[in-house]
Amino acid sequence: MNTNFEERLISAVMEEHARRTAAGHTAHPGPVRHSRVNRRLTRWSAVAAGAAAVTMTVTLFGGGATSAYAVTTEPDGSVRVQINEFRDSAELEAELADAGVKAVIDYLPANQTCQQSRGEQVAKGGQMKISTNSDGQGIEFEIPKGQIGAGETLVLAISVDPEGAVKPPVATIMKIIKGPVAPCEATALPLPSDKSTGSTDGGGPGQGNGPSLDYQTEDQPAQRD
Amino acid sequence: MRLNEDPSALEAFYRRHVDAVMRFVVRRVSDPHLAADLTADVFLAVLDSAHTYAPGRGSEVAWLYGIARNVVSGHHRKSALEARTTSLIAGRRLMDDDDLVRMEERIDAERQMRDAQKALAGLPEGERAVLELVAIDQLSVTEAAAALGIRKVTARVRLHRARRALENAASPTTAYMGAQT
Repeated sequence: MNTNFEERLISAVMEEHARRTAAGHTAHPGPVRHSRVNRRLTRWSAVAAGAAAVTMTVTLFGGGATSAYAVTTEPDGSVRVQINEFRDSAELEAELADAGVKAVIDYLPANQTCQQSRGEQVAKGGQMKISTNSDGQGIEFEIPKGQIGAGETLVLAISVDPEGAVKPPVATIMKIIKGPVAPCEATALPLPSDKSTGSTDGGGPGQGNGPSLDYQTEDQPAQRD
Repeated sequence: MRLNEDPSALEAFYRRHVDAVMRFVVRRVSDPHLAADLTADVFLAVLDSAHTYAPGRGSEVAWLYGIARNVVSGHHRKSALEARTTSLIAGRRLMDDDDLVRMEERIDAERQMRDAQKALAGLPEGERAVLELVAIDQLSVTEAAAALGIRKVTARVRLHRARRALENAASPTTAYMGAQT
């Protein structure tokens, strides 16, 4: 009996499941929103600056079994975000918007971050902790339900490790901004172990022993804001 | 074994719960097309969250209702247009005329529950959530707590408060409470 709604729905669900399995996704792939093209273009320079790091790391992912990010809404309404690879920030933003969280995310080279002031910053209790993924790749954090209120935006500026886009980042700056958010203007990121912070060549300055949080310490706090 | 690794487990899970999910949905919306969309969205969300499903760790109904709740309340936050364009499976397109009639029958059968639910609208969100799952969806307090990701004792306290608030508010403010959606 394959002729009613329930049967058609299970067929559609199984097809979607098969599609995701084939694509190596275990989570929602994230719809692309064409209305976001403009903003994506305006931020293209930031993405391009990080391209060297991104291409360097493709091989580290071998087989591409993991998607760049996963956004999961937990039963209590909190939103868990896992970033495995620092690319496709616009898609991640769209995915977060679907989960009810407005976000502006920029990935930058290791020696850069966004300007200090992006808008009216909201001071909230430090409930969001960023951790390195338990497998040592990327980062994860959880946004408690209601943490990002109406008219507020979660703003993330992630300085990608020169070793590659799958490593935990050199620095992650997380803010909550009320009202409009200024676009990211890349500025030098002061690195504690590297005084030559003025370099903006974006090609990885080669300080392989920089202060990246790149070893597999579970739950190591990565927030440096 | 995880739900997203075994298609037969996923199918069995669907068959066990599709009725309950449709009931859950029609207790909250009265439009048959929207009910079909939301039913589809719940099972898509199950795929999204399948990695958080741990058999034997609490009730699977609680896990599923936690997801269903997020989908339905997420829908209320979005415009209908947005909800349609972002869903991967348009449930309404999977319905033929017979399905539409059956869905309307389901919706009629749950009218009382929808009315009861409207009466809860004035409660604070946390309390309403617990009371809804217990009184409308017939979960145990333990299951409701699991569905909401809160401690059992918290659920008990909220349930108690919600019931007391409803008793106190018995008639004079019912109209006001019912006015919210």
